[in-house]
Amino acid sequence: MSVLDITNLEAGYGGMPVLHGVALSVGRNESVAVIGANGSGKSTLVRAICGLIPILAGEVRLGDVSLQAIPAHLRVGRGIAAVLEGRHLFGELSVRDNLRLAAAHGARLRPGARRFDVAQVGALFPFLGGRMDSAVELLSGGEQQMVAIARALLLNPDLLILDEPSTGLAPKVVREIMAVIARLRESGMSILLIEQNVALAAECADRAYVMAVGRVVHEIHAGQWSTFRQDETLLRAYLGGAAGPAS
Amino acid sequence: MDLTLLLQSALAGLTNGFVYALIGLGLSVIFRGTRIINAMQGEFALIGGMASYVLLESLGVALPVAALGGAVLGGITGVLVEAVLVRPMRRRGASEESYLLLTLGVAFAISAAVLYFFGRDARLLPGIGGEASALFFDAAIRVHAIWLIVIASAVMALLWLFYHRTVVGLSMMAASVDEQGATTVGINVPLMRTLTFLLGGLVGGLAGVLVSPLITIHYEMGLLLTLKGFAAAILGGLANPFGAVVGGVTLGLVESGAVLYFASGYKDVVSMVILIVIMIVMPNGMLGRGARKGG
Ligand SMILES: Nc1ncnc2c1ncn2[C@@H]1O[C@H](COP(=O)(O)OP(=O)(O)O)[C@@H](O)[C@H]1O
Ligand SMILES: [Mg+2]
Repeated sequence: MSVLDITNLEAGYGGMPVLHGVALSVGRNESVAVIGANGSGKSTLVRAICGLIPILAGEVRLGDVSLQAIPAHLRVGRGIAAVLEGRHLFGELSVRDNLRLAAAHGARLRPGARRFDVAQVGALFPFLGGRMDSAVELLSGGEQQMVAIARALLLNPDLLILDEPSTGLAPKVVREIMAVIARLRESGMSILLIEQNVALAAECADRAYVMAVGRVVHEIHAGQWSTFRQDETLLRAYLGGAAGPAS
Repeated sequence: MDLTLLLQSALAGLTNGFVYALIGLGLSVIFRGTRIINAMQGEFALIGGMASYVLLESLGVALPVAALGGAVLGGITGVLVEAVLVRPMRRRGASEESYLLLTLGVAFAISAAVLYFFGRDARLLPGIGGEASALFFDAAIRVHAIWLIVIASAVMALLWLFYHRTVVGLSMMAASVDEQGATTVGINVPLMRTLTFLLGGLVGGLAGVLVSPLITIHYEMGLLLTLKGFAAAILGGLANPFGAVVGGVTLGLVESGAVLYFASGYKDVVSMVILIVIMIVMPNGMLGRGARKGG
């Protein structure tokens, strides 16, 4: 059974749809990527799933619950945690307070789920130990991204959504984050990864959806990654040739 | 200059300063949590003072209970204003400036309502320790004023602990720093805004209760308190609630110092001049985009 099931989704801003009939699903223990050029609607999709913008039509189901009527902040209780594009950390609060908030609300909203605590998250990101009392806004971009992932994990999600976690980071830091995603994947976490870089997506996801102008225009099934990445026509058509470096 | 006179004036300034600090604290709590400049912060004090007067004189309730009742009514007023007026406006996408007009309008309405129901009479609450004064070297200070400073300081300390050490307080800060981030962590951002008004109203109501034995409760008292509190808050940096404490005490001391040189009738002029000077010297002021971001 799928963790996330989206059918015929329309969502956008100020009543104007940006997404037109998007359908996708993420299975249990599955890692699924969404790729697509800038402005194709990937982050809009994430915002609709999280409840930050209204669902205009169609359905977003989490397990057997339809999310439409559930207020955004309560969706955490249904098992979603998202690292939004731009991270949206509490910059002037300390790392400790950022994590403490997530742990507290995670425990409140998901009393049953106990997978991650601050110690386990600390083991995943060893640097955190020494930076607990720093204001988040003083950390490097890579460190902030890791705090954002740690904060999401403390909500004990069934589905972790990551919106472009590698954007703007140095290659070495990107590798570290990819390694963490790989470990989460091994641990059986269901992941929806938004990623512009096809090479990174291929590394981290079982399969993928390709978006263009608010629609899913192509699906990459398990085992089809290399075919897709060698298909210049497809790459150019959907991603403007932005396939990213071969890894 | 006479040292006793100087000390006397410093004590008076300190007392006033803590009142301004409390009003300014309430203002910046609300500004910080909602980005709203609350022009009715002084009206919370009017409501708090008047409510405890009615509880005490008409209903015969004990003073501590009446005082608590005044503060609580200030808090309830805050919640009502947020839930009934601010929230629907926000839902319709009102601009930042429109909330200033809204709260100014509510301030006039409350002032008019107090005039209608209670008339022009000035009322005085009995202070803690009655009319008694304590001598500090040769300078006298009302026992109530000492309690005002102690209670105000305790409230400020509690508020600091609340914001930094409790999950609800941290959540309120988080909601003001990044609304979307807070929502995805499971924080009910609209509820945090309502709680912000509850806190602002409680602090404002308490300020009214504490000041009412020293200055009279009067339907017009709100606006001047708001202006003083506003001066305190921007002096200390509007987006940082605890800056208002420093700003308020500074303002009180400067005012009372000025009274030594000018006639006491110019006291309010001095603080308004300070307010204007701050706004001119810092044209983007502490109200500028930078401070508005989140402080
Ligand atoms: N807050 C917003 N208000 C209005 N339009 C927006 C907003 N955010 C994004 N859009 C529009 O929605 C479309 C998709 O944007 P987005 O979902 O951010 O794309 P992606 O994440 O794939 O780069 C773009 O045309 C963009 O201009
Ligand atoms: Mg995006």
